Amino acid sequence: MYDLRIEVEEVKGFCDLPMKKGDYFEIKGGRIMIPEGKYICLWALQSMMPVFPAKQRKIDEENDWIPHTKRFCCPDPNGMVIFRIDQINPDTGRTVVEDEKQVVPPRIIVEEDLCTGCRACETVCSFTHSENFNGEEARIQIEKIEEEGRDIPHICRQCGNAPCVKVCPAGALSRDPETNAVLVNQELCTGCQRCAGACSFDAIHFHQEIGLPLICDLCEGEIECINRCPVDAIKFGTAEKLKEL
Amino acid sequence: MYQGYCGQVLRVNLSRGEIKKEELPLEFIRNYLGGRGFNMKRLYDEVSPEVKPLDPENKLFIGVGPLTGTLFPGGARVNFSAKSPQTGILGDSNTGGFFGPELKFAGFDQVIIEGKAESPVYLYIKDEGAEIRPADHLWGKDTFTTQEEIIAESRDKRTQVACIGPASENGVKYSGIFCNHVRAAARTGMGLVMASKNLKAVAVRGTQKLGADDPTRFLRIIDRLDRKIRKHSEYEVRCRLGTTKLIKSLNEAGCLATRHFQTGRFAHAEQVSGEYLEENYKLKSKGCFSCIIPCSRFFEIDKGEHRGLKSEGPEFEGLAGFSSRVGVKSIEDSLKAVDLCNRNGLDVISTSECISFAMELYELGILDKKDTDGIDLCWGNSGAVFSLIEKIVNRQGFGDILADGVLPAARKIGRGSEKYAMQVKGLEIFQADPRGIKGYALGVAVATRGGDHLRREPWFEFTEDAEEGRRRFGVPESAFRLEYKGKGRVVKYYEERCVLSDCMEVCKNTVVNMEILSSSEAAELLHALSGIEFSTEDIDRACERIFNLERAYIVREGIRRQDDTLPERFLKEPLPAECGESAGSIVELEPMLDEYYQAHGWDLDTGIPTSEKLEFLGLGEIAAEFRERGILKE
Repeated sequence: MYDLRIEVEEVKGFCDLPMKKGDYFEIKGGRIMIPEGKYICLWALQSMMPVFPAKQRKIDEENDWIPHTKRFCCPDPNGMVIFRIDQINPDTGRTVVEDEKQVVPPRIIVEEDLCTGCRACETVCSFTHSENFNGEEARIQIEKIEEEGRDIPHICRQCGNAPCVKVCPAGALSRDPETNAVLVNQELCTGCQRCAGACSFDAIHFHQEIGLPLICDLCEGEIECINRCPVDAIKFGTAEKLKEL
Repeated sequence: MYQGYCGQVLRVNLSRGEIKKEELPLEFIRNYLGGRGFNMKRLYDEVSPEVKPLDPENKLFIGVGPLTGTLFPGGARVNFSAKSPQTGILGDSNTGGFFGPELKFAGFDQVIIEGKAESPVYLYIKDEGAEIRPADHLWGKDTFTTQEEIIAESRDKRTQVACIGPASENGVKYSGIFCNHVRAAARTGMGLVMASKNLKAVAVRGTQKLGADDPTRFLRIIDRLDRKIRKHSEYEVRCRLGTTKLIKSLNEAGCLATRHFQTGRFAHAEQVSGEYLEENYKLKSKGCFSCIIPCSRFFEIDKGEHRGLKSEGPEFEGLAGFSSRVGVKSIEDSLKAVDLCNRNGLDVISTSECISFAMELYELGILDKKDTDGIDLCWGNSGAVFSLIEKIVNRQGFGDILADGVLPAARKIGRGSEKYAMQVKGLEIFQADPRGIKGYALGVAVATRGGDHLRREPWFEFTEDAEEGRRRFGVPESAFRLEYKGKGRVVKYYEERCVLSDCMEVCKNTVVNMEILSSSEAAELLHALSGIEFSTEDIDRACERIFNLERAYIVREGIRRQDDTLPERFLKEPLPAECGESAGSIVELEPMLDEYYQAHGWDLDTGIPTSEKLEFLGLGEIAAEFRERGILKE
């Protein structure tokens, strides 16, 4: 079991307790240790409390968010005090550095509200994959609802526990070990469309002539649809990293 | 076999219920390039002077170009052409959105619609096939509802619809064709031509492959053009404001059409500007097919009288038309008026002219409440604007007079009102005051479809770079908007740029206003796309040929130099003192016309293309026809 150190990383709002940057407390086994003369905000503490036992344990489950979660925000909307939770090895007293494989994999992130509905992404996807300008062969499709002004990009988000892969009765879908993209084995696919039905993002499109699922393969290197989108409605990365940009 | 073009034309005869496919000969492509060029050639060959616009013998041509549906930024356009019921001459209107690309994906470069159906129908095109479907249940419905219902009937959200609204059905001369709710081919009354054929809509869905001859090279050129666009000084503002940026800039220049061109400065311009719209109502940017300049917007009004009004749009023409032109200072009222036009299928330019014309006559006492069904037509009365739009749509009372267009309305009203009709050849003019932009003024006077600004866009006159003026057009003054010298050549140059843009069927924002595609690049791109060899000269010659063909069409309909003119106000009344740099300016039309005809190689006295010119452009048959008809001397 790890020990934990919880430190105020940043005060984005205004905390009148006050909690200050650098304030910390520790959890050692079943005890909360607060440095002498210091205190900890009750509201922040109660909001983080349930996660401490989970953070104290090593979790091997792939795609679980708990191992990657480091930051919590005080529930006071005016406070915006950000706490960082570090795991400590009790034997060495050193902070545990996340091992490489546990880093959150980057994925396609869609900001629907920005999408202009131009379908430039469809055209470039289809053309670079199939030399066809018609977005019918694109692995991204824009659904347009004119009366609402809504434009909804449907594209694979590289889900952790991809239901499409799990549901495929022919074993035709797999994950690219490098990029996490969902790969289609055309030989094995029977065209049953169950993957499309299982996708929570409506991201799998079957071309009516080809009869195979068109799923984003994240291109090779530069992702074409992202390059062409004029408003950055489609991005590739982790939410945290993109926020830093 | 070539790529990029579908190589097929769909010909539909509504009288006989016949649907045929025709091959598109390579020679036709080489000579007329696409879209507007294809339509103009057909119009010249198939709709003679004997045909009246509302006869079943008039034909509607729907043309797309080689770049429609491709990766070219804004390769979204489509032209609708016919003989115009509004002007009696060349009718042609172009729109973006998603209809054009879908037609390409369905396998057609052009659709030709002939005859007249017995009862309301719509044409449904799907992958190289088409059927005529009943539309009785859609007749009377507005453009938004019609589009939504046809899409629902097709059970395919990607179906694209071009339709007409109640205004066309009721016979309003300036009614248009609408796609994607608000994308309008609204000029020259193409909607009325559809209505005259009992054709409520054309729906299209295409799942076919559209490829390129040399995909790698095509992509490389597109990458280069993309970079040019993104680096262009206009890029950022066009993404933010699109054409609505013009309210503020034209107002500053002192040539924003205000109270029916009484002045060029609107005191409330700030509150009706694109910037104000962006700040207070814009929800997000919108774009046409495959475009990297999302110049349109979706807005919502969340309080007040028009609470809940949400839509894509408007463009500059609608926004200024229902604000400065009619003196309305509430942007929300302007947005409402544009929305009424869109839903009913009206052209915002012509509608705003007819209403502002009536308002000026009311101010002058030529009209009073007895004439206007009791409506108080004072400047800025938004309620009057809404009522008149409704009356025009339904051809009720005073609206019936305005529904034929400003020139017929003036003739009916009489009492000296004709000189206040702001039109050329029967088509109402746009929202900029020609006196402050001399190149545009000349352009509006000579446009082949009547009072129109989109057949050249000589933006060069805003550059104020005398050296460039000398280099490009031989006259330093050509780079200044208030100068008239050199404008004949400038206008000719941009006319041919617009032909290129409309034939490729891409947006003028990039090809004309940003000048990102030279003729040699166009030749290179077309070759990579289609595999057909074009030289730079082939492209230039084709653009000039198509423009001359249009001129020949209107000459054959009787247009001569005396018709290439402007309303009297622009020629005689100087812009008022409040118009800043533009103050005191009038349009020096005659010297500009001389220079323009000379630049084209047309006859100075008549404005008719000479035999030599026609022969040079490979239009010898027209020269022969003109001699036969006595238009040209033997």
